[in-house]
Amino acid sequence: MSDSEKRILVLGVGNILFTDEGIGVRAVEEMERAYDFSGNVTLMDGGTLGTRLMDPIMNCDLLIVIDAVLGDGEPGSIYRLTGEDLRKSLAFRDSMHQTDLVDTLIMCEIVGHRPEAVIIGMEPQDFHTMALELSPVAKGRQEALIGFALEEVKKAGGAFARKVQPVA
Amino acid sequence: MSGSKPQAAPVTPKGTYSGPLVVDPVTRIEGHLRIDATVENGKIVDVRSSSQLFRGLEIILKGRDPRDAQHFTQRACGVCTYVHALASTRCVDNAVKVKIPKNATIMRNLVMGSQYLHDHLVHFYHLHALDWVNVANALKADPAATAKLSNSLNANRKETPEQFKAVQDKVGALIASGKLGIFTNAYFLGEKKNEAYYLPAEADLMAVKHYLDALHMQVKAARAMAILGAKNPHTQFTVVGGVTNYDALKPERLAEFKALTDEVVAFVQNFYIPDLLAVASFYKDWAGIGGTSNFISFGEFPTDEYDWNTRFFAPGVIFKRDLAKPQAIDSKLIEEHVKHSWYVGDKALHPYKGVTEPKYTSLEDKDRYSWMKAPRYMGEACETGPLAAVLVAFAKGHKPTVDAVTYVLNYLKVDASALFSTLGRTAARGIECLVTANQMNVWIAALSGNVKAGDTELYTPWKMPDEAEGVGYVQAPRGALSHWIKIKKGKIENFQLVVPSTWSLGPRCAAGKLGPVEEALMGTPIFDPKRPVEILRTVHSFDPCIACGVHVLDAKTGETASFKVL
Repeated sequence: MSDSEKRILVLGVGNILFTDEGIGVRAVEEMERAYDFSGNVTLMDGGTLGTRLMDPIMNCDLLIVIDAVLGDGEPGSIYRLTGEDLRKSLAFRDSMHQTDLVDTLIMCEIVGHRPEAVIIGMEPQDFHTMALELSPVAKGRQEALIGFALEEVKKAGGAFARKVQPVA
Repeated sequence: MSGSKPQAAPVTPKGTYSGPLVVDPVTRIEGHLRIDATVENGKIVDVRSSSQLFRGLEIILKGRDPRDAQHFTQRACGVCTYVHALASTRCVDNAVKVKIPKNATIMRNLVMGSQYLHDHLVHFYHLHALDWVNVANALKADPAATAKLSNSLNANRKETPEQFKAVQDKVGALIASGKLGIFTNAYFLGEKKNEAYYLPAEADLMAVKHYLDALHMQVKAARAMAILGAKNPHTQFTVVGGVTNYDALKPERLAEFKALTDEVVAFVQNFYIPDLLAVASFYKDWAGIGGTSNFISFGEFPTDEYDWNTRFFAPGVIFKRDLAKPQAIDSKLIEEHVKHSWYVGDKALHPYKGVTEPKYTSLEDKDRYSWMKAPRYMGEACETGPLAAVLVAFAKGHKPTVDAVTYVLNYLKVDASALFSTLGRTAARGIECLVTANQMNVWIAALSGNVKAGDTELYTPWKMPDEAEGVGYVQAPRGALSHWIKIKKGKIENFQLVVPSTWSLGPRCAAGKLGPVEEALMGTPIFDPKRPVEILRTVHSFDPCIACGVHVLDAKTGETASFKVL
């Protein structure tokens, strides 16, 4: 890759043990299975870790996060949030995490490099039941969700192509 | 102040409040923990620790291939991924009776050591420091006096007034811009200064700078872990029978790991420990608050995975604070109680026979009040974590631990009884981190020695038995963790996890005995019931992790429509 290319990190976050909580991780798994990406694009299953994701986050120029997002929409609604929208959101205080994404980004800023960030999210149907499968609604909308994430990759100068033979 | 200690040491001010006091959720922890206390005349007289999240992992694991357990258990928690992977692997190792090669043991130890360094640094600076350090007050400090103070604490520090001024500007700007994110809900905020914080401004500023420096350092610690762990953030190198990170045997990979580790170790020696001692010397009254009676540690860092007594930190139990009589662990004496938890029944069961059958009552219920079970050893509630590990190692005469404990006690001019407290718990975490840090290079040298001598073995083949049971003991950064498996027809028949937080933060047992954090909170002074930082000090000193891993972005701002794209 050349120096002028943006380093793009597609980070799927969430917990695969709680149904749609795993939307982000499952989307990244599916993207890895079905697509080949150019060298400037990295896909990563971030799980639910906060500060431990700082290294990869600081090593990219554009961070695309895929996650379950609680908006006011119907389950399956897809959202696009940028860093600024996130900062305005007041609800993060109640994050169940040690540090949530917004805090992690602020910490990246303090430490040195905060990449541009965009969040592609989906309204979950069920994120309480302990189960490994996505809900039918989330499953049905997964392709659309991935489409939006790929759109961001393309806009930022990343390239991708469907694999001829997807990994089983 | 200019490096000298104040004339009369301040202490936690006395309050006069009487009435109920609920902290829900306790922030800066992993998961939801609720503390429900009754305060009389400024002191806690009754308290319940309640976990608000149900974990039903056992149910998901049933019927699966035992080898897959680690991939699910390490998702149970947002922070301690590797420790669950290791406990799951060890319990299957144990069940199938495979002897892993010695390099595999060292490799597992090195990753665990990295996890200790990372987690303890992050705990001290990012999860616990704000209970003691007033960030707002740091803005008032004199940068020159701060540099003098800091450099007086350790000969390897070369900090300048300009650096401290820059930190003041950075943090001041952060507060002014409203990006308080990382400091929200801190109890030093508010119109009136919270008198329960009593560090001099210079010590506050010093700690804030190192809070930021530690953010850099934990990135390196995490990177070190990823070098050996094969995949970040969920390690994928442990397998039943050993490990699979053959790439990490290459001299250049080991050198990379060593370079990062050396940097982190130096930070622990030159910053973490001196800062811990400096802050502790101002809060010495906390050496008399927040103690418990009984302790359990599974020990960690084996040289032989099949001999519990080869662990660098020895396993053991201490009853009634008696350091003269550390006892060996008999795993048959571990039971989990559910009488005061949201589960069916009231029978205490050994983990092999454990059942997980939820039955929620209500948040107001004072009888059944937590999703956590209550583990007991010989019927006693036992605190686990670094304090337990350090006490057991100290009691057994483990020289590196004895030396570190003695150094800390002498520095603070207190005796060993001070260890049984909130301050002792926080100090023990530093001690465990330091002793582990000092050992890292011994393990690295052992591994490269073996490789140089031509021993690159990392895996022992084995066969899945039709029926078996096994247990994996881990002393995680947060304490005693055990996974218990029963295998039938080659599949998981029963799988139970007894995690550190249930030992330390679980509810009352069938005999009505308080859980450790409940015991620790009894008698705690409360100055300002609206900002009860005293509760946080003790709760955070346990490094609670409620293992929820629930992560949903909440975008309800009233403007959600504008985010929606489809």
